Amino acid sequence: MTLEHRAFMYSGPEDFLAVTVPFLESGLESGQAVVAVAREPNLTALRDTFAGHGTAIEYFDSAAFYRHPVRTLRDYQAIVKRSEPRSVCALAEPVWGRWDERQTLEWIRYESLINVVFAGSGARALCPYDTATLPDDVLAEARRTHPLLLTDGRDLINGRYVDPAVFGAGCDRAWRAGRPEGAEYLPIDGADLHALRSFVAERAAEHGLGRQPAQNLVTAVNEVAANALQHGVPPRGLWTWRDGDDLLCEVGDNGFWRPGPFTGFIPPDSALQQGFGLWTVRLLVDLVELKAGWDGTFVRLHTRR
Amino acid sequence: MRWASKTSAAAYAGRTRTDLDGQVMETPWFAERPVSAVRPGDHGWLAYSGAEERDQVIGTFVREGLAHNEKVVYVTDAPPERVPGLGPRRRADAETYARLGQLRLISREDACLDRHGAFEPERMLDILAAEVDAAFGEGFRAVRLTTDYTWLLNGPSRSDLGRMLGCEHRVGDAVSPSTMAMAVCQVHRRACPPHELAALRDTHEVLVEVNPEFDDGILKIVRTFEPNGLRVEGELDAARHAVFAEKLSQVSMDRRRVHLDFSRLGFIDLGGLHLLAQHATALPADETLVLDHLPADVENVIEMVGWHRLPGLTRGGGRALPETEGIA
Repeated sequence: MTLEHRAFMYSGPEDFLAVTVPFLESGLESGQAVVAVAREPNLTALRDTFAGHGTAIEYFDSAAFYRHPVRTLRDYQAIVKRSEPRSVCALAEPVWGRWDERQTLEWIRYESLINVVFAGSGARALCPYDTATLPDDVLAEARRTHPLLLTDGRDLINGRYVDPAVFGAGCDRAWRAGRPEGAEYLPIDGADLHALRSFVAERAAEHGLGRQPAQNLVTAVNEVAANALQHGVPPRGLWTWRDGDDLLCEVGDNGFWRPGPFTGFIPPDSALQQGFGLWTVRLLVDLVELKAGWDGTFVRLHTRR
Repeated sequence: MRWASKTSAAAYAGRTRTDLDGQVMETPWFAERPVSAVRPGDHGWLAYSGAEERDQVIGTFVREGLAHNEKVVYVTDAPPERVPGLGPRRRADAETYARLGQLRLISREDACLDRHGAFEPERMLDILAAEVDAAFGEGFRAVRLTTDYTWLLNGPSRSDLGRMLGCEHRVGDAVSPSTMAMAVCQVHRRACPPHELAALRDTHEVLVEVNPEFDDGILKIVRTFEPNGLRVEGELDAARHAVFAEKLSQVSMDRRRVHLDFSRLGFIDLGGLHLLAQHATALPADETLVLDHLPADVENVIEMVGWHRLPGLTRGGGRALPETEGIA
């Protein structure tokens, strides 16, 4: 069953309801599992409209649902899995105003990944974009990440849609070269990562990370370093530095690795599946960047305090 | 009573502490030791869950004493072949050691019962003191004392708790300052109600347990008996996966459900979670690997990925442990 992933350009609450209400109704009529993830006040308007339908629709506030792209993918996938054998009809309105440039790019990439993760799910997803408030680049990117487009009352096959593999590879090129002068370096040379964990925990505490994010970062860096030890080529090492509120940890080795544009984004079925480690690393920190080049393999983890 | 002693003060300071108002509070204060680390001055406590655990701990206690020119005094009614730690030719060994004066198996009747068959702590204290006093002259470098009190707590000759506590306090007072004597008091965990067990435990400074299966200062793996499984302490990472996997499969051999006590687990890497799931999927379909006392940090990672991605693992009981330390 193929996925329908449609962007919907709207302006104002009436326009929003005029399309989303029939969309959700059609989901209910065809027996799909219906979820509505929307920003306020849209969410309340939908709840009011469907007040007579009891618990037939599951509602989520976008502000809570869209906090971390890899976790949001995981959560949508959980909804798809638990609804089986029914397919899912999802109104999915992301949050855009809250992110810096790099985070925004990751959320755009997330929209592109939806096409891959849910390719065979039979789900129908409608993603509303508010043309009155969203910046032009977000609106333009929406046209590159959704195969279907609903705009000015016309439902189109979107000619500007970009294949997710091509799109993801483009995102990976956003890697900012170089590390600052003051970056600290810890060689990774033995098989024992105990000292590396202490090193990361200390940097995390100095940076003012909370206990849980700090512990998550330690687990994530440990995993990347363990991977470098197992698959990489010496010299291997860890750089850490601070960039405003972000603490950056970058593990590099001299090996040649070719991560695909989806590496670590697709939720694995279990811990036994290939890719569980990097996927979990992506869950544990705010942002993961990969760079594989002639000079080695680098994995950069961002954690914001 | 003259027990070979180093100072008049107790070997263990810190049994009392002062609270914020300057009041002196009596608080339980324990040192935990694997049985091989028990040393003179230790008044040790072993609340065992069954014969397997008791025999492993006491077997080691007895065997190591005999192997290191120490005198072993065991108050028991068991025949020599049932005394743990004596090796394959038990009766013959027992006789040899007894002839050398290195092993003293003393029956309950001789050690601590009065003419009417009632428990008489004074008698036992005198007899133990005499054994300790004689040991130095006999050429032994230390004396290991042990007995199982279970029969006194739930048998027909049940002694009242006050008498038991008084006895234990006096044993403790005698052993703690000693440079030669060490004692391990054995009690079955279900010999008496939990509050009585806790009260008895609190008269000891040292909690004795089996020797760890593995301990490299970063990761420690200790066999547990009730529930059956392993306590995993410290940090489990790739450098230690192999030894952990080996111990896990050993404890899984007899097809009893395995519990992993993670109360003192500071870190587990993602490969470790993978390893647990891999082990669990090899179990029979209705069987699971139970993770007890999950620390918040570890549970957070598991919940982040979702329990369903770790098939065959289930969350067991509780989070905190210290309340039941040494009794459960």
